[in-house]
Parts: sequence; C-alpha cells; structure tokens
Amino acid sequence: MGEGQSDRQAPPSIKLLSSNLSDQIAAGEVVERPASVVKEVLENALDAGARHIDIEIEAGGTRLIRVRDDGFGIPRDQLSLALTRHATSKVSTLEDLEAITTLGFRGEALPSIASVSRLQLISAQDGNGWQVGSGAEGGDPQPAPHPQGTSVVVRDLFYNTPARRKFLRTERTEQSHIEEALRRLAMARFDVRFTWRYNGRTGQDLPIAESESARAGRVSKLLGRGFMEHALPLRSEAAGLSLEGWIATPAFARAAANMQYVYVNGRVIRDKTVSHAIRLGYADVLHQGRHPAYLLYLELDPTRVDVNVHPTKSEVRFRDSRMVHDFIHRAVRERLRDARAGVGETNPNVATDGAFGGAPAMPMPIAGFPGGGAGGLSGYRPNFEMAVAGGSVSETTGFYQLAAQPLATAVEGGLSPETEEVEIPPLGYALAQLHGIYILAQNRAGLVLVDMHAGHERILYERLKQQRADNPLVRQPLLIPLVLHLSGREMDTVLTAQDELLSHGFEVTPSGPESVTIREVPALLRDADASAMVRDLIADLQRFGSSNRTAQEQDQLLSTLACHTSVRANRQLTLPEMNGLLREMEATERSGQCNHGRPTWVQLDLSAIDKLFMRGR
Amino acid sequence: MQFSVGRRELLSKLQMVTNVVERRQTLPILGNVKLSWADNSLALTGTDLDLEVDTKVSIDSDAQGATTVPARKFLDLCKAAPEDAELRFEQQESRFLVRYGKSRFSLGTLPADEFPMVETSGDALEFDIPQKVLRRLFEKTQFAMAQQDVRYYLNGLLLELSGDAVRTVATDGHRMAISESPVGISGTETRSAILARKSVLELGKLMGGGDRSAHLKLYKTHLVAEADDAKIATRLVDGSFPDYERVIPSKTDRLAKINRQGFREALQRVAILSSEKYRAVRLEFYGSELKLSARNPDQEEAEELLEIEYQGEPLEIGFNVNYLLDVLSAVEADTVEMQLADSSSSCLIAQPGETSERYVVMPLRL
Repeated sequence: MGEGQSDRQAPPSIKLLSSNLSDQIAAGEVVERPASVVKEVLENALDAGARHIDIEIEAGGTRLIRVRDDGFGIPRDQLSLALTRHATSKVSTLEDLEAITTLGFRGEALPSIASVSRLQLISAQDGNGWQVGSGAEGGDPQPAPHPQGTSVVVRDLFYNTPARRKFLRTERTEQSHIEEALRRLAMARFDVRFTWRYNGRTGQDLPIAESESARAGRVSKLLGRGFMEHALPLRSEAAGLSLEGWIATPAFARAAANMQYVYVNGRVIRDKTVSHAIRLGYADVLHQGRHPAYLLYLELDPTRVDVNVHPTKSEVRFRDSRMVHDFIHRAVRERLRDARAGVGETNPNVATDGAFGGAPAMPMPIAGFPGGGAGGLSGYRPNFEMAVAGGSVSETTGFYQLAAQPLATAVEGGLSPETEEVEIPPLGYALAQLHGIYILAQNRAGLVLVDMHAGHERILYERLKQQRADNPLVRQPLLIPLVLHLSGREMDTVLTAQDELLSHGFEVTPSGPESVTIREVPALLRDADASAMVRDLIADLQRFGSSNRTAQEQDQLLSTLACHTSVRANRQLTLPEMNGLLREMEATERSGQCNHGRPTWVQLDLSAIDKLFMRGR
Repeated sequence: MQFSVGRRELLSKLQMVTNVVERRQTLPILGNVKLSWADNSLALTGTDLDLEVDTKVSIDSDAQGATTVPARKFLDLCKAAPEDAELRFEQQESRFLVRYGKSRFSLGTLPADEFPMVETSGDALEFDIPQKVLRRLFEKTQFAMAQQDVRYYLNGLLLELSGDAVRTVATDGHRMAISESPVGISGTETRSAILARKSVLELGKLMGGGDRSAHLKLYKTHLVAEADDAKIATRLVDGSFPDYERVIPSKTDRLAKINRQGFREALQRVAILSSEKYRAVRLEFYGSELKLSARNPDQEEAEELLEIEYQGEPLEIGFNVNYLLDVLSAVEADTVEMQLADSSSSCLIAQPGETSERYVVMPLRL
C-alpha cells in the first residue's frame, strides 16, 4: 500500500561513509556552536602543557577563532595526522582510557572542526614552524614562522554546513557562549595565563594566579565581585576525595541556576549527583525557588570516575556515586553551618552594594571610640565642610560624637569599664527595638538590623534539630497497615533497601509481586501521607543511592514548630533580652538565615549611612 | 408579606443551619441560607452540597414565600439583636428586610428556586432509634476519626446496622474505637454506611432530645435523619471501611485492671515531661504495679507508680499518651481493662466484662 511499492527502487547498498562525511557527522556532536570550537581547541592547548594561551575571536567566532599556546607543539611529521579522525597522543591503550588525566582523548575534535571550517594548524618545535591547511587532507606541511607552541586558526565556521549556520544566534549570544567556555577553562587552570580579545578589543587578561588571593582575584574577575564578597572558601578532604573552592552564602542565592561550577579533576561537569548533593547542603537556608552559587573543585583518583560518557565530556559517572554524594553534601553543609555573624572572612549580609568588605571580629580599643580617631569612626572629621540643603553639617557633628556614647555605656553595662581592650561581638550591642519587629544594634562597622523573629526562629529550629538528632527515632506501628503498589523496579529497590527504609522509620515488607505493606512510620510524621513519602524515598534511593527525605520532612515540622514558638512581632524586648538574643544568634549555626532562607540580619556600615547624608564626599 | 419571630426561638435553629455553610464559597448561593415560610412556620435550610440541615420555627403569620439570604450576615444580625427582641422580616423584591427595635437592615437575596437541595433516591431502610443512643454511639468513637487522611474513608465514622446491634467504628490507622448499642434494627440484614466527619459532628448536635426518638432513613448514597423539628440529609462516603473485627487483638495473654481516674490523672502528670512531638510514655507492668514514665529531649524525666491488678509476664510498652487519654476520657466506668500481647502488638482497652465500647491502640516503638 505504501508509496513506491510498484516501482520499487533498488535497495541502497551498504557502504563505508567517506571520512569527510563521518567527520561532519561527528562534528554535529562535538561542534555545536563556536563556543564548542573554543572549548575543544583550548583543551588541546592545556593538554599540551601551555603556560599562556591567547585567544582571538571575531564576529562571535563565526569569522575567526585563533588560539595560540606555548605548549609542546606538534612535530612536522605528525601535523597532518593530527587532522585525522581518531588520532590522538593522549591515550594509546585501554588502561589509559580507564585513568584519563588529560582533558581530551577521543581524537575527534580537530578533524571534526576541520570538516566544518577552514582550519589552519601552525606549530613550532625547536624553533621550526610548520603549517598545514584544512581541506587538503594529507597535504604536505609548509614552513611557517611561529614561536614555540601551536596556533589553531579556525575561519568561516560552518561555511559548508548552511543548516548549522542557520541555527546560530546573534553574534552577541555566541560571544557570550564563548565567554562562558573561556570562563570555565580559566577557572580550571590558575597556573595558566589567559588573554582574550573580541574583535580586536581586549576582553580579559588573567595572569597566572598561584597564591590564594590571586586565585580569588581571578574568580572575582570572571564571576563578578559580588560572588567573591559572599563566597565562603571551602576545603575538605576524606577517603581519597578532596573538595575545594568557594560556595556563596545563602544571601547571594540567585533566581537562576547559573553560577554553579563544578570541576571534577579539572574538567567542568554537570552532574545530577553532585548538584543534588550541593543543593541538599543548602537545605533550609535557601529561600524558596532560589539557587545557590558555587565554584567547586573535586579531585579524586581518575580510576574512580568515568569521563567517557558523553562526546562533550560534560557528564561523568562516579564509580561510587553515593560516597561522592555524601562527601560533598557533608562538606557544603558543614561550611554553611558557620554562616553566622563573626565567623569566616566575609560578612554574609552586607546591606550595601558590596563596596565594603567583611567586618571581622577583632579586638579594638574602646578608649579610642569617642575620640573618633580609630576604627569605624575614622571617617568622621569634625571639621570638614559641606553644604547640605538648609544647613551646614558642622551643626550635626556634635551630635555624632554624642551618638558614639551609647556604645560605650552599653559596653559598660556588661563589662568592666576599666578594660582597655574590649572585644565587640560581631552583632554588637542592642540600642533599641524598631516597631517591635527589628532590633537595632551597634557594632564596630556601624549599624546592625536584626529581624528578631527570624533570628529567634533559627535558634529554636537548630535546637530542635539537635534534639531530634540526639534522640533515637521513635516509630509508630500502624493498626491498619498501608498497602502500596509499586513497579517492578521500585520493588527491587525495596527488597534491597529494607534496612535503609527502616532506618528512616518505615517498616516496609513485600506483600505481593508488585505491592508492599507499610507497617510502621516515624512517630513524628504519623499524620503525613506515608505512602507518598515511601514512594519518594524509593525514588531517592534509586537516583542517589541515599536519601535524607525523612530527615527533611521532620525538619519541616520542627521548622513550623520553631516558627510558632519564637517571639512574634510587637513583642517588646528589654535591652538585656535583645543582647541575649544577639549573643545566641552568634552562637547558633546557620543563624545568618531564618528557616525559610530569609536573612536574619543586615549590616549598615557607617560609610553607607554616610552616603545617605552625602557626608565625606 | 411580613412575619415576625422571637430572637430566642430563632437563634439556636439558625445557628444549626449556618454551621454547615462553609465560610469560603465559589458558588455564591452556597453562602446563603434558604428561608421559606408558609402556614405559620418558617423553614431554614443550609447546605454544603454534601450535607443539608433543615429546621423549623413557628411564626405569627400564614404568609407564603421563599428566598435565600447571606448566612453569616443574617446570623450576625439576629445575634446582635437584644435578647428578647421580636424580629420582624419582610421580603421586598430583591431585598430582605430585618427589623427589630429601632433598627432596620436590608439584605441582598438570591432566588430560592436556585438553592441546591440534597436529593435522595431509591429505597431506604427506615428505622427509629432513641436520640441519646445514637448520640452516645457517636461520642464514644468520633475522636478516633482521621483528619485529612488520604484514605478518605477513614475521615469518617462507620455506622453498622444489624439485627442485634447498632455499631459505630472510627479509626485513624493508629487506634480504633468501637461502640455498640444492643438494640438492633429488627428484621434487617447487616447494612453499613460511612458518614463524613462533618456530618457526624452535625448529627451529634441534632440528637439532643434525650429519650425521644430520631427517625433515620438509610438510602444507598444518603442518610436522612429527622429529630424533633430538624432534619439532616447527608451524602455517604463512598468506600470500604477496614474490617474492624480483624484489628481487634485476640491472642492477649496479659491482663491489667486499672482504676480509670487514677490512671488518667497519672498519665496527664507524666505527659508534661514527655516529648512535645512524640508524646511517648512508657508503661511497665509487673506484679501488682504499673510504672509510668516519660522523658523529653531536654532529658527531664517523670515517673509514677500505680497499684493495679495484673496477670501475666512483666511487660514494657510505649504509647502515644494522647491516644490513651482519649480512650480514658471516653470510657465512663471506674475500672478499665487493658489486654496486652507484647510490646509491639496492639492493645485492647475496655470496661471489664463488657463489649459495648472497645478501643484498640497501637504502641510506639521507643
């Protein structure tokens, strides 16, 4: 009935694809857009041991991508081979493939790129430069002057694949994709200098960054200063795994899930296991629908991770994903636990645009305070002049000196006035309550505003969680057991994970080929929908090998309890009560955020307040 | 088209009708009560589509008419009237006037013929039962109903009618309450119905007439109950209730007889220091003593000893104290009997030698 049945054509015969055609097919996977070319060529340069890589981009990479490195170079006799498919210097045996330490290894990039562009490869070893051009596969190398290293010049990308060309976005979009590719590689290799130019104008010049501060400087150039100002440095090591990098405080959480970078052995990846682990680490400090920002480097034995999963190598497979998951989760969680006032180098809740860094708690001479000579008050010069509408500032300076007094008196209240050097707590001393909602406190840097309900809520919540963790799980057996129907795959999970489920408080026994009976539930969750929870638990166990869903659900209940039992707005507090709350907040983990991820306090620096009054300009 | 009625006579009837009207409505007429008057009588009707309550009150005029008015506002106006006020009503086109003393109010109306009425169909099993019997059956069991369980049929009460008994059963999956009255419905085979939570509470209020009888009609999908001059019609919950007979523990080899009031008070004291969330208490039975203890996350502890009659091996068992207290409040006898098997099996609580009220409680695994 189908078409062509009457005059059937001769069946097409099976033949080997021409190498050019198969290269173009491979290019479809590897060279998706100009940014992929940049990535592939740059990875080659890094694998060649380059110390300086210079990149030039024109017209969003469609006209020109030139990458010059100072690496090993390619000998003259291998130049042509480099453009041949499945030719690589990076792996030669199966054993190599199981322990890959280079970025590339498939031997696909250059021939793929060459098949969809005009590619020129120039390389010099020992001062003799040679070049091969694209198209003429196997053509003899021509002499060309070039310093030590290799240049890859890609012109007119996709000139011969109009379909692909049509799908390119605007120059601007393609350029931002290239920028992202460059950013990812530049953050992977601090030991290499990167310079790049767009249409002849300098984009970035990133010198080699060996020291900790230089690295932070490079990240701040690439991800913006905001990230670095909110970043908590993280370093953790266990069981042959090492995690380093920066995680941003919850205050820097973003509406979109960008600014999430994870490197596994120097290779940037996107992995469900890893991102889930990090997300869990941020549990209950993140506002709903917000995404954390982080830059993390995971190092592990190359034999424990398989990078040969996807042509662009953006996915990996861990041999023991559960261990990796738990390790990362714990590391992030523990780092965030310290997200409270006075801990860590950075202040999580700076209310200004970030021009003022952290407010480290350090001892400072109180005696110097009223004089306005030292520390945070140094900005006040009683004798500067400035016309403010209607009056001169000199009138008010006297008031400022007065304003410095309450601090001294507040300190005297709790501490011996004779003490020459007094440490001011990070959240300072309470001055007053604002509309029964906020506590105003004065610390070294200036004014601290504390949402008293949010702060108290977190204190109670952490206490309840601690109690839950310290006490054994109580289970409530069911008088009327619940029957749950499962798929075959879910059944397999239940059969292997009965103990795991029991440790979550659910006793689940198989009652048929595709059904189980829930006989016991955690007493704390006795009113929750047990069948939905068991289903979710099973799904977690399948995906991540572990779950802390029940702990989360229980925390959810405790969070509500904490919310209901904490002080509410319009409760009048005395100064000692307020100071007590501030001290408890300083001692409580994660007290920078309330249970719902809202900030609990903000710092208003004196200099920021000065700005409001146009002082000191 | 005027009529009047005393505030006192009207208010309790109106309250009952207004109770079923949900506060938030998507369909405006469901927020109204229906008023229809004829032959010296005013009928009030409120509904939430599943549950309809009708009451009657006598009025001083034989005028005829019907309308619907916003339930809450109408109730609040009547409530706010002076205690002995005579409320005068008048319908004027699309308005309904309420007057008392020197006050005058004009309420918006919706047409009475648009008011949805619960419709019953098919044959019904009709029977009479003393109001206080039905009320007691509800009171002894309704506390064990589930609240917002996904197994919707647990969010209600099982009413079972047979030749030798009328029975009510409620369970939330953790504990169960069974109550029965020995007066059966003669000449019927066993029939059962699940009443929704809200219907149970309203029916209970309707059965305030002591020894007087209520007339019940059980349809396939509805139950209609008439008592005195009020009527409730409710849709039944569709579903099958768990087999309660199977839940009652039979192999119990431990038996404790405990003074109910003493037990209850001891539990209340010990519960003060039990965990706010788990509400766990530990019971230790040995010899002729029962030791009650509790401990909270702050490591504070409570302990109390009770003299009891006990037969069987010593046993240590944990319970949610609220479940025990609910039972001890529902039981009226001086002594209760606990029948126990082991620390992980359910326990049966009843009055010694009686089966009219039985309670099954699942222990906690501490």
